[in-house]
Amino acid sequence: MKRMSLLAALGASLIAGAIALPVAAQGTDTKAVLAKLKPKDFPSQPIEFTVVYPAGGGMDVTARLLAKYVEKVSGERIVVNNRTGGAGMVGHAYLATQAKPDGYTVGIIANLVWGDAMLRAQGKWSYTDLEPVGYINSDALTWIGQTDGALKGRSLKDVLQIARDKPSTLRVAIVPGSMWEYLVEQLETASGGKFLRVPFQGGGPGITALVGGNVDIAQGFLAEYRGHLEAGKVAPIAVAAGARLVNQKDVATFNEVLGASDYVWNVIRFAVTPKGTPADRKAYLGAIMKAAMQDPELIEEYRKAGAFFDATLAGSASIATDLDKYATRERDFYQKSGRLK
Amino acid sequence: MDALAGLATGFGVILTPGNLYYCLLGSLIGTLVGVLPGVGPLAALALLMPMTFVLTPVAGMAMLASIFYGAMYGGSTTSILVNIPGEAASVVTCLDGHQLARQGRAGAALGIAALGSFFAGTLSLIALTLFAPALAAVAIRFGPPENFALMVLGLVCTLYMISGSTAKGVLMIALGFLAAAVGIDVVNGKERFTFDSIQLTAGIELLAVVIGLFGVSEILANVESQARSTLVANRIRGLWPTREDWRVSWRPILRGSGLGFLLGIVPGGGPVTASFMSYALERRIATQPERFGHGAMEGVAGPESANNAAVGGSMIPLLSLGIPGNAVTALLLGSLVIHGIQPGPLFMTQRPDLFWGVVASMYVGNVFLLLLNLPLVGIWVQLLRVPYRILFPLVLLLSVVGTYSANKNLFDLWVMLGFGIAGYLLRKLEYDLAPFVISFVLAPLLEQSLRQSLVMSPDGALILAQRPVTAGLLVVALVLAALMFRRPVRLGDN
Repeated sequence: MKRMSLLAALGASLIAGAIALPVAAQGTDTKAVLAKLKPKDFPSQPIEFTVVYPAGGGMDVTARLLAKYVEKVSGERIVVNNRTGGAGMVGHAYLATQAKPDGYTVGIIANLVWGDAMLRAQGKWSYTDLEPVGYINSDALTWIGQTDGALKGRSLKDVLQIARDKPSTLRVAIVPGSMWEYLVEQLETASGGKFLRVPFQGGGPGITALVGGNVDIAQGFLAEYRGHLEAGKVAPIAVAAGARLVNQKDVATFNEVLGASDYVWNVIRFAVTPKGTPADRKAYLGAIMKAAMQDPELIEEYRKAGAFFDATLAGSASIATDLDKYATRERDFYQKSGRLK
Repeated sequence: MDALAGLATGFGVILTPGNLYYCLLGSLIGTLVGVLPGVGPLAALALLMPMTFVLTPVAGMAMLASIFYGAMYGGSTTSILVNIPGEAASVVTCLDGHQLARQGRAGAALGIAALGSFFAGTLSLIALTLFAPALAAVAIRFGPPENFALMVLGLVCTLYMISGSTAKGVLMIALGFLAAAVGIDVVNGKERFTFDSIQLTAGIELLAVVIGLFGVSEILANVESQARSTLVANRIRGLWPTREDWRVSWRPILRGSGLGFLLGIVPGGGPVTASFMSYALERRIATQPERFGHGAMEGVAGPESANNAAVGGSMIPLLSLGIPGNAVTALLLGSLVIHGIQPGPLFMTQRPDLFWGVVASMYVGNVFLLLLNLPLVGIWVQLLRVPYRILFPLVLLLSVVGTYSANKNLFDLWVMLGFGIAGYLLRKLEYDLAPFVISFVLAPLLEQSLRQSLVMSPDGALILAQRPVTAGLLVVALVLAALMFRRPVRLGDN
């Protein structure tokens, strides 16, 4: 580690030497509130934001932006650390079983942790070992198609009709063992149609395959496909959210088209601490994150990155309780679909 | 002419003291990262990315990109000098590069590697400048069946890397497949060969395998032979490539540039695949293939050019479409997103300053790297005089640090150690290690693309014959495989 931090320090000093760091402006009100909540002995060292996905990805970008604004509002030092492997599994297990509950480790994770905990943790840990301290933002899974070709201008109803009339001809990009697959499964069960589920290692490669004409439908988040949307290459078909998204008012939800309520597949990003973290430290961490999340600049940065804010969670009085409702919903799906006994 | 006007804009953006400074800084860090075994470009970029947030997007991108291609320059250094690859794309450089060093020709090999890297890097940039949008449009049509055919071709090329017994080599390829199968099944998401271990669900980390097999086992093997106390004693002959070196190298450099560039653009390719396919190509077309593995300069010139050209190639889908082809370009994409920039098909027209600025910075960076690396040759060669007892503990330390810092996962160190011991034993038994690593890299892509192809095809395996590019690549692979198995017979006749 020595050598790498030396390298890092070298880089930092060389960069800092060339340009002045922007001076953060802070509201005095928030400052006073935070000062009151701040425990006497905490923090005495930098706080680590653990990201369980690789640097540069959506989750990493979310965490690094948050870190920047938490530093701005609170003056605390934040270090972002990526603990990757097994599509998040390694990092989730680390946070739940190994990380010290002292407030210095904060997991910046997504609801994908529930699937890992319920289906793959083999009872070694549970999602309740990670206690939510703050909500960040959400992304809703959207079906997109090419703007020219066989599905040009087709609605969700048309697509499902094709899947019924000519089963196993439409190619849909999925990510195995995740919401990308569950959504297709739900649609097949409800509509009686059949799709060819082409597996990819993430949403991005599926979208690339759509643009290249190797699949007919891709599923992804606005941030992933916006470049192609703006270039007129792809068009949204429907979004798996509870209500139409504020940044995409003209895209119908699966629920409104199909008259249902259970087509909700979001990535919900939130911060957790390992179970057993002292209450005062958790409260302080929650407060500095909330303060950062109220910064209009950060909200704008997240909006630019394509995220939206779930109103229930953003205004939640108890984030742990509200997230638990979503987790229970997911557990129901696993039980209904026979994945979980 | 649009391209040239754009490039002029780009140079206008990049030729400011500030931007040049970050480009130079990135080149320096990249060289260092390439030279240090274990510390790869991915780990370094992940570590340094946050520091670029305070820079302008163009300065940040110029710096991060120069670390990426700078590492390709530096990567050959330890391959040649100590037979330990600086990063995965320089594994094949060990085969002939280190033999050259043993013959006292380390300087020439390093020189050819640096100059080859420069020519290849610049050629691929010229191609990027002129044809980026057109090439991106072709690359994006490259789907699972095409990827599968490319991987099959790569696998056949692996056969050409076997230096000793063919049976042993094929066994190593099979073992590479087996090791790559550990982890989560790409199609149904189920665990395979994980033995209920959370760590193994992640699969086996490539970096830990490479460092273990090549770094740790090389050190173990050398500790044993105490007789030689320095690497290559005092037989250092000439620091620079000779006329003869150039005569044999210029064609491999050109071929490596072309091959690497093309492999950089397509999704399944990248610097690693490019380097060993170039090696296989050179060995295949050489008039005296038996020279390979015993210090053939072409075996350094080709792969080292190819891995640099692949970097230029991989920038095409990234900058023209916003599609990252590998983990490093994904990181570059992420750093743009943090700056509030979402590259997509319109990136080039909406942000010409940034697009052309980054392209221009790469021209400049390649010049910096050449100027940086040529004088270093003399210094690196002196490294050969450092006694083992000092050099190897240092290399081992760096290997541990590098392997750990990639994922910050202690388990990877055990993997590194395990593969180190396995590599040591396999060397004793005269098994080739390179085919193992290459099939380990290819196997997941091969499996995934085959299974994707079969799922997306209404006609089953016929899809492989229906798509012209796929069919063409498969035919080439078949012919190459047939030629490979004919050769031992011909040698027997002689």
